[in-house]
Amino acid sequence: MNVLTKNLRLFWQGTMLSYIALFAWLRPVTYAASKIVMPLAQMLFFVFLGTYATNSNNVDFYVIGNAVQITAVSGIFGVTMSVGGDRWAGTLPYLFGTPANRVMLFFGRAFMHVIDGTIGVVIAFIWGVTLLGLDLSHTNLPALGLTILVTTLSTCALGLLMGCLSLITSNVMFVNNTVYFLLLIFSGANVAIDKLPAWMQALSQILPLTRGIAASRALVAGQGLAEIGPMLLTELGIGFVYGTLGYFMFHWFEVVAKRRGSLETV
Amino acid sequence: MNAIEVNHLKRVYRAAIGVFKRSIKEVVAVDDISFSVEKGELFGLLGPNGAGKTTTVKMLATLLIPTAGNISIMGFDVVKQANEVRKRIGFIFGGERGLYWRLSAEDNLRYFASLYGADPEVSKKRIPYLLEMVGLKGRGNERVEGYSRGMKQRLHVARTLLHDPEVLFLDEPTIGLDPVGAREFRQVILDLQTEKKTILLTTHYMFEADALCDRIAVIDKGCTVALDTPGGLKKHVSDLSIVEMETFGAPEEVLNGIRALPFVDAVSVEDQDQRQLLKVQTERGAEAVPDLMAALDGQRVGRVIVREPTLEDAYVRLVGGKV
Ligand SMILES: Nc1ncnc2c1ncn2[C@@H]1O[C@H](COP(=O)(O)OP(=O)(O)OP(=O)(O)O)[C@@H](O)[C@H]1O
Ligand SMILES: [Mg+2]
Repeated sequence: MNVLTKNLRLFWQGTMLSYIALFAWLRPVTYAASKIVMPLAQMLFFVFLGTYATNSNNVDFYVIGNAVQITAVSGIFGVTMSVGGDRWAGTLPYLFGTPANRVMLFFGRAFMHVIDGTIGVVIAFIWGVTLLGLDLSHTNLPALGLTILVTTLSTCALGLLMGCLSLITSNVMFVNNTVYFLLLIFSGANVAIDKLPAWMQALSQILPLTRGIAASRALVAGQGLAEIGPMLLTELGIGFVYGTLGYFMFHWFEVVAKRRGSLETV
Repeated sequence: MNAIEVNHLKRVYRAAIGVFKRSIKEVVAVDDISFSVEKGELFGLLGPNGAGKTTTVKMLATLLIPTAGNISIMGFDVVKQANEVRKRIGFIFGGERGLYWRLSAEDNLRYFASLYGADPEVSKKRIPYLLEMVGLKGRGNERVEGYSRGMKQRLHVARTLLHDPEVLFLDEPTIGLDPVGAREFRQVILDLQTEKKTILLTTHYMFEADALCDRIAVIDKGCTVALDTPGGLKKHVSDLSIVEMETFGAPEEVLNGIRALPFVDAVSVEDQDQRQLLKVQTERGAEAVPDLMAALDGQRVGRVIVREPTLEDAYVRLVGGKV
């Protein structure tokens, strides 16, 4: 077996096992509910609330916005659990006692959630098409797929940063819920961004999802990859920044914990 | 080259106390500890609660930075060459935490093997071998959440042997095991020694240290107070005999009265339900018994035995009557 396949197998084993080990929702029924029922519930809620409140007929706006935003379930909650889970498992000393490459270890924690989040969005789009009349006949589907993947990546990167917070504080579930709901508004999933106050718009611009949702809407409206390309690149760049910040925070956590002796304090 | 080399090790913890008026309290967990362990040696680290054993093991295992002093393992510095050290060591902190309870034992091992970069083909053979070695054969595919404490501790042993380390640190590995389980566990440790592994062990069970260790360091309040073979340590008390007296609820004043007697060297008290077992160290042996009975001042006394000192008695003398 050559070095590359060996390393790939190692990476796969590590990410897959850590996903099962640390992602506490992974009981089949709850998992299915979170993947299938919850996107539909969220979508129906905002579609009916949104169209009723704005008295308009822009169902697609809410369907697309919430379908893409669903990726934050994996990206924020899932990734945070996978990074922070070692704290309550008491595995941190054993983890940091290995010579494992920390970059692989850290980003590996998010890997399965990227796949998972992408699948979640696809399921949500299927609900949109089958139940809420979403029309994808003018859509460049490969480009939409790429947009979903890129958006999921950048959302998971924010999740990695949140996960590091959860290594340090125990209140992270509160912070996570807040972030999730803020994303519902700030990302433009349910409110057109240009209707937001200026300070909120500014925040929107530095969050993941915002451009991914805008790009998805543009694609469904019939635009092509060339038009949305810049948005995707920026979305990816935002993810890169959060991922890098997350990694430095993870590294910093290890260094400080070894200095202070706080590796296994819960 | 020694396998482990510890020079003037020191570790101070700074802990914040108080919620509103925060102040910093410094705890000197390890003050000045030095020792070296030869390759293949089984070395014991003994000391009362809070002596600094776990703190020392954490520094050996690259998980805690020393405040001063240095440690080298197989010639590598634990701070500057941490990854080289990590490839060569295994460690266990007693207890059942530190495993992924939602995974099976095999998957736990597979995961840790991946962290050590072990070739998956090699792990495929090594994992069943290790599970058999620690007595978990046939249970490997069960989730760890259903394991008993002893099984989890055995799994920790398998985990730490995945990468075939040369040096092992075992911090109270038999804590909380039943007597039979603890005995089987000691056999595993002895088997490891025959594989030429260097082992550093901490324990509160003196007979365990006596039976297993080639040499023992006794530490107290962060300092080494003795370092010798079990036989050598016993010589510290070879001039003494031990009078064991069973009493029933003797009050503290009476015990202090005994401690104050001129011919009494040290007294340790073991509480066992209604009874107490006093272990009095004295040069006078059986002759001391009448005076001791008098000092007990009418307290009910059960069995009285005069015996030769053990490692435990040597330990008690070294750390001043605390067990
Ligand atoms: N993370 C920490 N922060 C602050 N103080 C600590 C920390 N860990 C240990 N200490 C203190 O350092 C001292 C030594 O603790 P350590 O755990 O090394 O003792 P030990 O010899 O292993 O004791 P035991 O036999 O009870 O396991 C104790 O006073 C303890 O309270
Ligand atoms: Mg300890």
